[in-house]
Amino acid sequence: MNILVFTKRVPATQEEELRLISDGKDVDFSKLPFKVNDWDNYAVEEAVKIVEKGGGAVTAVSIGSAESDEVLRRAIAMGAKDGFLVEVDQALHDPFARSALIRNFIQKEGTPFDVIFTGVQSEDDQFASVGGILAALLKLPYVSMVIGIDSVEKDHMIVRRELEGGLQERVRVATPCVVSIQSGINEPRYVSIMGIRKASKVERKSFKGTDYDAGKDAHIELVQWTYPPKKGGAQMLTGELGDVCAKLMEILKEKGVYQ
Amino acid sequence: MSYALIVAEVRRGIFEERNLDSIGICAQLGKETAMLLPEGQYSFNEKMVDSIVKVKAGEEVFLNPLNMAAIIGKIAETRGKPDFIVFTHSSSGTEAAAYTAGIFGFPVITDVSGYDKERGVFRKSYYSDKLFGEFKTIGESAAVLTVRSGSFKEFAAEKSAAPNEVSVEDVPVSDSRTFVEYVEEEKTDIDITKADFLLSVGRGVGNKDEIPAYEELAGIMKAVISGSRPVIDKMWLPKARQVGTSGKTVKPKVYLAMGISGAFQHIAGMKDADCIIAINKDAEAPIFQYAHFGVVADMHKVRDALKGILKG
Repeated sequence: MNILVFTKRVPATQEEELRLISDGKDVDFSKLPFKVNDWDNYAVEEAVKIVEKGGGAVTAVSIGSAESDEVLRRAIAMGAKDGFLVEVDQALHDPFARSALIRNFIQKEGTPFDVIFTGVQSEDDQFASVGGILAALLKLPYVSMVIGIDSVEKDHMIVRRELEGGLQERVRVATPCVVSIQSGINEPRYVSIMGIRKASKVERKSFKGTDYDAGKDAHIELVQWTYPPKKGGAQMLTGELGDVCAKLMEILKEKGVYQ
Repeated sequence: MSYALIVAEVRRGIFEERNLDSIGICAQLGKETAMLLPEGQYSFNEKMVDSIVKVKAGEEVFLNPLNMAAIIGKIAETRGKPDFIVFTHSSSGTEAAAYTAGIFGFPVITDVSGYDKERGVFRKSYYSDKLFGEFKTIGESAAVLTVRSGSFKEFAAEKSAAPNEVSVEDVPVSDSRTFVEYVEEEKTDIDITKADFLLSVGRGVGNKDEIPAYEELAGIMKAVISGSRPVIDKMWLPKARQVGTSGKTVKPKVYLAMGISGAFQHIAGMKDADCIIAINKDAEAPIFQYAHFGVVADMHKVRDALKGILKG
């Protein structure tokens, strides 16, 4: 089975302060480290696991700046055979524009695949829409929130979708299809610096987004960024750690959960 | 006719409460509403919508995105194209929304938690609620939205008249994606929804080797240990201990959140706790907006200091 898997380089924003610049038209990423999107890491692992077991090849594709080569090297270190970079000058905020670019790329290059994997969403914009729009544009069946792949057959797969409250739904989906992978589906393998260095020797192909009408199919536009609306907010306990912890214990006693 | 089409989410015969947010945003948008429902009887105030469109299909057919896009196509043929198609921001709602947008070439904005009437812009979360993006649609075509639970329900109100009801028959059913069965989570001894005191750990725990020390602290404090999604995904704690929309919804007397930044899906699972205490080294963590008490500190240091007090 040949699997195309999409992987995105995103800013690591956990525990980082995000600053708006240019009157909310931009976010200052200059001091932030970057990483692979968590969901894509699970998708790459799942794709590699499937070809390790049943044969075929994984091709990792990234849409982004030249630096996105990082996440392609990482995917190759995990077991992908090829890495394709579709370079775009600026972020495509609209998931429709991204899906249209991917469709144009796949159709123009005639990239062969049996299944396309994406992560359910990306950590930065959380749209959770690229896989679904892409499936529709390619006229393929779609399944999202996939938390388990029970079997991979010649013309179909049996997968489990994560619903709410611990419930899952088992679904049969014909291939070719687009599948969006949920985090927690597997244990992504550890990638060493040596492994990434070795992967650097595998040639990655680079394409120009402008050759595939990047950004032409936008249906929404970003007006501006804002900070989150402030709610009540917590009463902050400050001071020496020992005093803060003593105060915490008082609260627990007051609430009757610790005697 | 100008109207908004609401695709209701029903699961195992239950009308999900988050559908009220879909109704609420339509009130904000000033649109007449038609609500799509699969066959069956549902318990909700039907007067909150202008019309009900009953689809002759079970929920497992109805919630399938391939079928839903076909159903919407059929409705547009008879009623005309809607101005908005509104889904819940849920596993099935988001799946069907994106696919529908792709099929019809409509703009899509997901996880909408705010709407500015004057400016006509929709607000959605970025970076786990650390920022919000304001978007507007380009052109005149219908827009597909998924709505964040809890964001708009206050605007859902009764209409003066009871809704008219129509039905859609001959639903096109896809054979390229089909429902097999529901799969229940394995039953375990522990039920975190029954605990009075939960000590919950999140991504900030950093490393699997740190977990036993939190289990020990929970043991001394007589708390039950639970976790947020990143900890469960990494299998550092079992799935039965997960707090959040895809895990359990909890209402303990005290919820002590350590190293949890407060992604919306987590907040939805614990916001009704009597007392929420958040410990996080990031002063900007969204969880501090929902907590009653907050401490900006290294969670491991707090853990060790608490242990010191309790053992001393």
